[in-house]
Amino acid sequence: MALSIADLPKEELFGQGHAGCGGCGAAVAGRQAMKALGSRTIITIPASCMATMGGSNLKTTWQIPFYHTLFEIAPAVSSGIRAALDAQGIEDVNVVSWAGDAGTADIGFQALTGAAERNEHMMHVCYDNEMYMNTGGQTGSQTPMFAKTSNMSKGKMIKKKNMLAIMEAHEIDYVASASIAYPLDLIAKFKKAAEKPGFSYIHILAPCHRGWQIPAEKTIEFARLAVESGLFELYEVDEGKRTRTVEPIFIPVQDYLLPQGRFKNLTQEAIQGIQAGVNRHYGRGE
Amino acid sequence: MSTTLLTGSEAAAYGAKLARIEVLAYYPITPAFPAMERISKFIDDGDLNTRFVRVESDHSALAAALGASLAGSRTFTVTNSQGLLYMTEVVYHTAGLRQPVVMAVANRALSAPHSRFPEQGDAISQGASGWIHLFCENNQEVLDNMLQAFKIAETVRLPVMVNYEGYIQSHTLEEVEIPNQEKIDQFLPLTRVRTLDVENPQAVNTVASPEFYMDYKFRQNEAMEQALTVIGSVSREYAQEFGRDWSGLIDTYQMEDAEHAFVAMGSMISDARIVVDELRSQGQKVGLVKVRAWRPFPAEALRQALKKVQLITIGDKNIVYGLGGALGTEVRSALYGQDVRINSYILGLGGRDVTTVEIKKVLELSEKTEKQATASEWFGL
Repeated sequence: MALSIADLPKEELFGQGHAGCGGCGAAVAGRQAMKALGSRTIITIPASCMATMGGSNLKTTWQIPFYHTLFEIAPAVSSGIRAALDAQGIEDVNVVSWAGDAGTADIGFQALTGAAERNEHMMHVCYDNEMYMNTGGQTGSQTPMFAKTSNMSKGKMIKKKNMLAIMEAHEIDYVASASIAYPLDLIAKFKKAAEKPGFSYIHILAPCHRGWQIPAEKTIEFARLAVESGLFELYEVDEGKRTRTVEPIFIPVQDYLLPQGRFKNLTQEAIQGIQAGVNRHYGRGE
Repeated sequence: MSTTLLTGSEAAAYGAKLARIEVLAYYPITPAFPAMERISKFIDDGDLNTRFVRVESDHSALAAALGASLAGSRTFTVTNSQGLLYMTEVVYHTAGLRQPVVMAVANRALSAPHSRFPEQGDAISQGASGWIHLFCENNQEVLDNMLQAFKIAETVRLPVMVNYEGYIQSHTLEEVEIPNQEKIDQFLPLTRVRTLDVENPQAVNTVASPEFYMDYKFRQNEAMEQALTVIGSVSREYAQEFGRDWSGLIDTYQMEDAEHAFVAMGSMISDARIVVDELRSQGQKVGLVKVRAWRPFPAEALRQALKKVQLITIGDKNIVYGLGGALGTEVRSALYGQDVRINSYILGLGGRDVTTVEIKKVLELSEKTEKQATASEWFGL
C-alpha cells in the first residue's frame, strides 16, 4: 500500500528552530528524512550548513543524538558507533551519516568508500546542493557543467561526478536518489534503507536558493523541475534491482536551467547538448 | 599471573585484551602493525570479545574509535609516525570532545626523508593536542601503562597515548609478567558513559561562539591538571595491586645525593639505569630522572627532583626545528630561576643508536661543557 501524507508521524525530530536560511533545501530534506527514521536514530553530520544549522552553543533543533563531526570522517565515526552498539547489544537504532556534496563526494569520499566497502550496517545520505555553500558557494565535483560559482565566475567546464553510479559500483544493499519535491518517495526510500542489514546510500537533490540564485520560495519548485525534466532521475537499486520510482514528464531542460542565476550565461548550444544527453539517457528520439 | 617473553607490540596487545576493549579500529603501519595483528588474533581465536572496524585509513581509525567511544564503548587504536600525523586533526578533536580513547604509538621518525626507524618526534608533534602522553621504558611498562592509561583516561575524561619506540621496544622480546584477568577487572571496571544515546539525546560539538569556546578550553586544560594527580594515584593503586611501581609522573633513580642528573624518557631510561650504576661504581654522583608522563608536563615534580643537583643533562630523541629538543626546552622552562647548569642534546634521531656507550659519552660531554652555545646541541652527527 502506498504511503500517504496522513500516515506520517506528526512528531518533528528536526527542523523546528533550525538556523538555516528560509527556503533551505537541506532543512526540508532533514525534516522529511526524520519522518521515516524516527527517534531511535543517531546522526553524524560533518562540516556543512546542515551541521551548523542544527545547533549552536547550548541550543539544538535535533531531538535525536546529533554529532557535528570533522569534515571527512562522518561515515567512519558512524562505523564506530555501530560497532559500539553491537558490542553493547543495542540493535534497534538507525545509524546515519549525513553530509553535503563536499563531505560525501570530495573531502569525505575516502571514509565513505571505506564504510561502503565494509558494508557497515548504516546509511549515508548526501544532500546535494551542487556547490560548497557553507563556505560561500565554490565549485566542487558535484557542481554541474556550466554552473557559475563564487570561485568559477565563467562556469565549470567539467561534468558532475556521478556519485550514485560510484556508490552502485560498491554493490551495497541499497542505493537511491531522492528529491525534496517528492517527500513520499523520499520517505519510502529512507524506510527501505533503514531495514537493510548493510550499507545504504541515498543521494538527495536539495537546492540551495542562494547558490542557485533562485527565489527562496522556489526551492521545492526547482527540485521538482530537475526531476520533471529528466535531469535528476529518481530511482533505487535495491539489492541489485534497479527501478525508476518517478517517471519524468520531460519538460524542456531549459525550463529548469535558464531561470537559475547560476546558468544565466548558458548558450543555446549548451542547452541543446544537455537536452540531447537527457534524451539519450531515457532512449527518447531527438 | 604468569611471566612470558613478549615484544612491546605484544605487551600492548595483551594490555588491550586485559582491558577488555569493546571496539578496536586501526590501519596497518610499520612498526605498529604487530600489535594490531596480535589483537586481531585474540579476536579470531575467541579470546577477546571485541568489534574490529577495518577502516581504510589512519584518519578513519581514530574517527571510528572516537565514534565508538561517544557511543559508550571502551576503545583502542594503534599507530605511529605518518599515521599519527594523518590522524592529527582527529587527535585534537578527540581531546576536545573529552573521550577516553587509548592509543598505542610505536614511535617512529617522520618523513622527509623517509625513515622507518625509531625516534620520538611523532609523539612530540602531538604535544599541544590535549592527549595525556605516557612513555614506557620497557615492555613490562608498556603492558602496565596500557592498563593504567584506560583508568586515567576514564577518570579525567581525556584520551591517552602510550608511547614505546619502534623496533627497540615494539620488536624486542623481554620478560613480561601478565597480570591476572580477575584482578585487572577489579582494578579497571568499565565506566560506561554514553554521550550519543537515543535514550538521552544530546547535540555534540555544536558551534561554540566566543562566549563559550574559551571556557570549554579552560575546562579541558583543568582536566589535564587533574591528571597530574590522577596519574600518581593510579600508579600507586596499580603498585599496591600488582607489585610494580612506575612512580607516577616521573621516576628517580639514585637521585638522593646526585650532583649530575640525566633527564630523558622512553627506551633510553633502561640503558641510563645501567650507566648510572656504572658511573656510581666509579664514585661519580650521577642520578637519573625519567619523565614518564610528558603530558601533562610534570614541572613541579621535576623542580622537586632536580633542586639539589649542580648539572642537568637532557637527552631528546626529537627535534623541534628552530627551538631545540622538546624535553630540553620544557625542563629549562620548568626550572626557570633555579641556579643550575643545564645542557641538552639531540640524539638518536631516525634510529641512530643510543646505547649505554652513547649515554655515557653524552654525560661526559656535558660535564666538560660549561655553557652551551645553543638551546640544544646535536650529539652523534
